[in-house]
Amino acid sequence: MAVGSLAGCASPTGGPPPGSVTLGLNRSLVSLDNKLNQFDAAVTVQRAVRQGLTRIGADLTPVPVLADRFELTAPTQWTVRLREGIRYSDGSPVRIKDVSTALTMYRQVSGSYIAGFFPEWPTVVPVDERTFTLETKRPLPVLDYLMANILLTPASANVPEELQSGVGSGPYVVTASNRGTGEYTLRRNNNYWGRPARVKQVQVRFVPEESNRVVGLRSGEIDIIDTITPDSADQLSGQPDVAFERVRGTRINQLFYNFRKPDGHPLSKASVRQALSLAVNGKRLADEVLAGSAQPAVGPVAQTLNGAVPCGTYHYDPRRAKQMLEAEGIADGDLRLTLIWETGEFAGDTSVMEAVVQMLGDIGVRVRLRQFEPGGNISEWRQGRAGDWDILGNGYASPVGAALPILQGMYGGTPERERTRDTYQGYINREVLTLLDRAYAEVDAERRQKTTARIQQVVWDSWPSMWAFVPNSVLAYRTRVADVSLEATNSYQLARIGLEA
Amino acid sequence: MTITEPTETGKRPSRITATQLRDAGATRRPRMARVKIRIGAILTALVVLPVALAGLLPLPGSTEQDLGSRRLPPLTDGHLFGTDQLGRDLLARVLDGGQVSILIGVLAVLVSGLIGLTAGAAAGYFGGWCDAVISRLLEAQMSLPLLMMLLLVVALFGPSVPVITTVIAIAQWPEVARLTRSMVLVEREKPYVDAARTLGLSHRGVLFRHLVPNVVRQTSLVVLLLLAQAVLLESALSYLGAGPERPFATWGRLISDGQDYVTTSWWLVTLPGLVIVLLVVGVNLLGDGLRDAVRGTKKGVAA
Repeated sequence: MAVGSLAGCASPTGGPPPGSVTLGLNRSLVSLDNKLNQFDAAVTVQRAVRQGLTRIGADLTPVPVLADRFELTAPTQWTVRLREGIRYSDGSPVRIKDVSTALTMYRQVSGSYIAGFFPEWPTVVPVDERTFTLETKRPLPVLDYLMANILLTPASANVPEELQSGVGSGPYVVTASNRGTGEYTLRRNNNYWGRPARVKQVQVRFVPEESNRVVGLRSGEIDIIDTITPDSADQLSGQPDVAFERVRGTRINQLFYNFRKPDGHPLSKASVRQALSLAVNGKRLADEVLAGSAQPAVGPVAQTLNGAVPCGTYHYDPRRAKQMLEAEGIADGDLRLTLIWETGEFAGDTSVMEAVVQMLGDIGVRVRLRQFEPGGNISEWRQGRAGDWDILGNGYASPVGAALPILQGMYGGTPERERTRDTYQGYINREVLTLLDRAYAEVDAERRQKTTARIQQVVWDSWPSMWAFVPNSVLAYRTRVADVSLEATNSYQLARIGLEA
Repeated sequence: MTITEPTETGKRPSRITATQLRDAGATRRPRMARVKIRIGAILTALVVLPVALAGLLPLPGSTEQDLGSRRLPPLTDGHLFGTDQLGRDLLARVLDGGQVSILIGVLAVLVSGLIGLTAGAAAGYFGGWCDAVISRLLEAQMSLPLLMMLLLVVALFGPSVPVITTVIAIAQWPEVARLTRSMVLVEREKPYVDAARTLGLSHRGVLFRHLVPNVVRQTSLVVLLLLAQAVLLESALSYLGAGPERPFATWGRLISDGQDYVTTSWWLVTLPGLVIVLLVVGVNLLGDGLRDAVRGTKKGVAA
């Protein structure tokens, strides 16, 4: 009996069940819908359950998913045809009404992340049972990119809020979920309209501490961990059962200024914002603190995105920074700033923040750090409803693959949207708004790109970020899992992964 | 009991040997108490003295970063404990963190000692509704999960040094109050209390001029033991991200930050952890030894 008990203790109890893969996410997957949030790690899981008409493919261009035709048929009209025989996991067919309902729900949800990308919501006009048109008042030439983020659910089950479970058309179905702990169990969808998933079951776990995820992967308790720091990659390199996937990312991480400051505040002046930028040694941060796993940004969006252009570089010149501050009447110790961020916002976040405190301290600017734990009220702070802050450590995912919608999402804030605090940290720039309007109205791709480039330059010259960088996406997995193919959006197709025999 | 004098030949007339006498519980206890006090004092001093004298030691500033010297192992380039992930001297960080952790610990036990002593003495002396209210209050608090309660309060009021100190102090007062109450219950039945009352001293006068001075010595030993617990609690809060805001370097945060490098830079977790162990073991041994010594003295006096 004693031997039996000991044997029981010794048996591996923490590993994934047979035929199952366990993912350890760095952020809590609060829902399997993307109406409000869409951090990188969530994309993989959300799209395994729910799908859009298109998705952003490996080359960052739209790839048809539920639609087999998605084309611009007039300046303000796109014609779409649903694939034949596509069904949800409950066997019901995907209908045109589901598309129109989804668009309505994404539009109605308050504080939507996706809504920011849409300068105008298209109207669905059915043509036949499978074909419909997406009509807009003004040309919307990037609609195929944007629609990759509208995930479909049966119209009767869709509501203007994040869906916790429910029916989707993806290769997996949710069999258990706990929003509080961020744990989900997905089972292969036997009614899937496409090629069935290779792995029978997927467990999704929220493991906030990077060290715990590393230990979990080493011990075999977790199979795949995403968004890891170079230091963690160091710890895992040389492990016989662990492999890596690395790609240049599309996410931009920023130390973004608060644009809700009153006119007299130093941060409301572009010259002060530029001066603070000059105090940050971005090269050292990228090379030393982030161990070469990131590139300092050279534009307001990641250069991997379609349509992104280089606009300038962040220089390090603390002497000039001090002179510029003095020219604005800011002496040593006059300026005190509060820097806020949420733990895990990006790999190596805390080290970057602490390094920045010293760099700004060198030019006489004192910085108070305020770190929020996941689940805290940073979103209220960001909106200026809970407390005042000056700089926000934030990562902006770019799931649409093109620069223009990202520019619209981040820098397309209007006074009307600011009334509900739905702008990106209060950034409102009339010149940018005019240019965005012009870019979206432009059907000619070349002229549109020219305007898009101009927008990026105008934004860059307004010094919205003290420093920004584009991290490489790094994913580590146990070699028992095959065909993990990380894409530039820092996600991969869950249905494609398999298990070694 | 008759004590037999040694005979002229030097032989003991008793069958009890000197070794047996030396190993007897009654003689061993004071000896062990002395050993505990010595070891405890050395371990405590090993941590507290450098922490107290950190400003005088020739060390770089605890927030002074050198990104070119990240994660240097101990005894490299003049860094006794090595450097952390931002090239800061780990020894300076540990000592700086110690100042925060020990300050919070000391303040917390002083406040909790004061609250516990006052409440416990009042409950024990006055009895009745006063005892009922205080006893139920401390029972209620002791039934709550301590760390959860601390995290909740810190989440509500923000993680500042005064809040954390107050929270730990409030968390620890029941220990002191319970002990004080039981000791006062015994003391109040003694003749000197009746004598004081007969001489016309007020209840408050009896309590604070006679009873409290008689129990404060034993209570202060418990408070000393609570210091170790307070330092551990503060470290736990910092480890869980509810400690004082950065850039305060607390021991818990040093361990929390270092755990991401546990397999490549062992010193980032091990050395701050070792310092906590030294202090906690040292303070516990010291408190234990002092308690044993006091107990021995009392027994001796009673005999």
